[in-house]
Amino acid sequence: MRQGYAYTVHPDTIQRSATQAPRRPSPLTRAVVIVVLALVTLLATVLSLLLGSNLIDVGAVIGALLDPANDPGAVVWGSRVPRTVLGLMVGFCLGIAGAVMQGQTRNPLADPGIFGVSAGASLAVVIGVYVLGTSSVITTLLLALAGALVASVVVFGVAALGRGLTSPVPLAIAGTAVTALLVAITSYLVLSDETTLAAYRIWVVGSLSGRTLDGAGAAALFALAGLVFAVANVRSLNSLALGTELAHGLGENLVRARIVGLLAITLLTASAVAITGPIGFIGLTAPHIARRFVGGDHQWLLPASGLIGAALLLLCDVIGRMIGGNAEVPVGVVLAVVGGIAFIVIVRRGKVATL
Amino acid sequence: MKNLATQNSRTALKRSALLVVPALTLAALAGCSSSDTGAASTAAGEWSYTDATGTTVTLDHTPERIASYTDYAVGLMSYGIDPVAIFGRFDVASDTRFDEFDITDTAVVGNSYGEIDLEALAEAAPDLIVTGIYPTDREGTLDTEGAYYGVADVEQQEQLEKIAPVVAIEVGGRGLDVIESLTALAEDLGADASTVAAAKAEFDAAAADLTAAGEESDVEVTQMYADADGIYVVKPQDEPETQLYSELGVTFTDLNPDTDYYWDIYSWENAAQMMTGDVLLVNNEGFQEADLLAQPTFASHPALAAGQVHDGWVGAALDYHSQAAHMEELATILRDSKKLG
Repeated sequence: MRQGYAYTVHPDTIQRSATQAPRRPSPLTRAVVIVVLALVTLLATVLSLLLGSNLIDVGAVIGALLDPANDPGAVVWGSRVPRTVLGLMVGFCLGIAGAVMQGQTRNPLADPGIFGVSAGASLAVVIGVYVLGTSSVITTLLLALAGALVASVVVFGVAALGRGLTSPVPLAIAGTAVTALLVAITSYLVLSDETTLAAYRIWVVGSLSGRTLDGAGAAALFALAGLVFAVANVRSLNSLALGTELAHGLGENLVRARIVGLLAITLLTASAVAITGPIGFIGLTAPHIARRFVGGDHQWLLPASGLIGAALLLLCDVIGRMIGGNAEVPVGVVLAVVGGIAFIVIVRRGKVATL
Repeated sequence: MKNLATQNSRTALKRSALLVVPALTLAALAGCSSSDTGAASTAAGEWSYTDATGTTVTLDHTPERIASYTDYAVGLMSYGIDPVAIFGRFDVASDTRFDEFDITDTAVVGNSYGEIDLEALAEAAPDLIVTGIYPTDREGTLDTEGAYYGVADVEQQEQLEKIAPVVAIEVGGRGLDVIESLTALAEDLGADASTVAAAKAEFDAAAADLTAAGEESDVEVTQMYADADGIYVVKPQDEPETQLYSELGVTFTDLNPDTDYYWDIYSWENAAQMMTGDVLLVNNEGFQEADLLAQPTFASHPALAAGQVHDGWVGAALDYHSQAAHMEELATILRDSKKLG
């Protein structure tokens, strides 16, 4: 896809030296990897439907899936199906958002929280409860989207007023500063009003449990829009991987590239966050794992990150359901452990600072 | 019920939600024994008090200016001991427990957990600071190395101690013991004997009525908290208030009394099938009736289906007067509910 450039420096060449990947995967290898990842995600989906803290047998699950009327206790259609659908969607969104984020900032430690997106969404949800006294899924979704958009526009504006958008550094700094401000306001509201605290505490637990499919359709629409922006950003992300100056030299419109990327990150993250509350580690870890298999070309990296994100989230959720006895361990906790280990491995491999 | 978020709300928020379940578990505190908190006014006006942790405070006069955490301030005020300063876990002005008292002259020095305005507290010049301590297990172990309940951390507690001596009421084990230890402190602080006697009479009457209601009714009461992760059922013997009501003859859901401390936890997949109970007392934090009905796997629970659900349930202060009112409320609920299934 880069053949049109006057002087072709294949991003993979750079990416390979940057990440010290042992070899550059061939297109065939990459296609095989994507198929394998899709199969793994499918397997995770099946496991997520079959396994849960209520140990009903496989036959009963399949029976209920085929005939919703034959679903004792609504366990399959009331719990397994929604959390599986939501898990796939949220994991996919967060994996891709993380890949776009890391590509945009050229920072392998970036996660979708860094542009103030999660903090903005959280604050908007809290304001919604504080002012409107509501926490329905649709309201939460719209508020989270609005908050995420406002936060990223503010971050973008602050960065643009400063040293500009060509370097990822002002964006990251502005994001950190705005996040700190938003978190402070959120804490203030939450700690000064008991009702708000209660509602916030329920929402802020990143969990696939207890969530229904209400509003998931609306969230999916926004996620789809985010996906479109992410796909539209692929080429720019590959140029940006060469460094902003070289990307500029290659004719990349940096401001446009940033805006498209920001929209992708914001829409994908806000949709995910609105459904399940903030879930960490997926956006950080999935792109790293994906990069090991498919290299740095975002054309492959984005789908691979999405699939890994979805599979990782579902598998961690299944683990959480199985280790809690009659209760469950929230997926956020399992992810903190699994993601934490993955993170240590990534750091130990010593490739973090070189993306 | 001890409020779930209280002890760890700040930490939980800071660390994001990842730690909420462990935090809930940690926050779930109670125990058995109540150490006999002795107090004795010694000669020559000297005042001495030994609290649940074994800390003895000796002053040259009976403390008149008391600062207290809200949970205990409510109790002290019911005995006519009006604190000069109070601090709570949320906005004190919106704390309905103070509705029947006049706190206009009381300095409010903390409106969220662990956020105590030390300057304002020092300005109120208390002689004594009263707060509580929850045991960490069923045996009643007290972590005397850690900060007391209502205090952010050990550092903050040290700063409080520079302002005035700090004593803690043990909130665990038998409910009656907790009430008696708070009452004993109030008496040591000069509570009028007739006020205490009147509150005790009120308590005894309400207790007798609750026992009668328990005998008339065979409903099983479930005291619970719920959130996205499932239902947390209070183990009645691990929470002083439910222990008291059990002792008076109320039947609480108690399916696994000997396992994990304080809570019995069910995922949403399991809750309706495993959790018994004819009446649900739903903690004011977390899911309320409408949220419970929105859980497809739980909507079929008999108590929920029968509408025997009481939103916004909160534990009352552990003094005779507050408990009397709370027991009357529970007696009414028992009489208005029917055995299901």
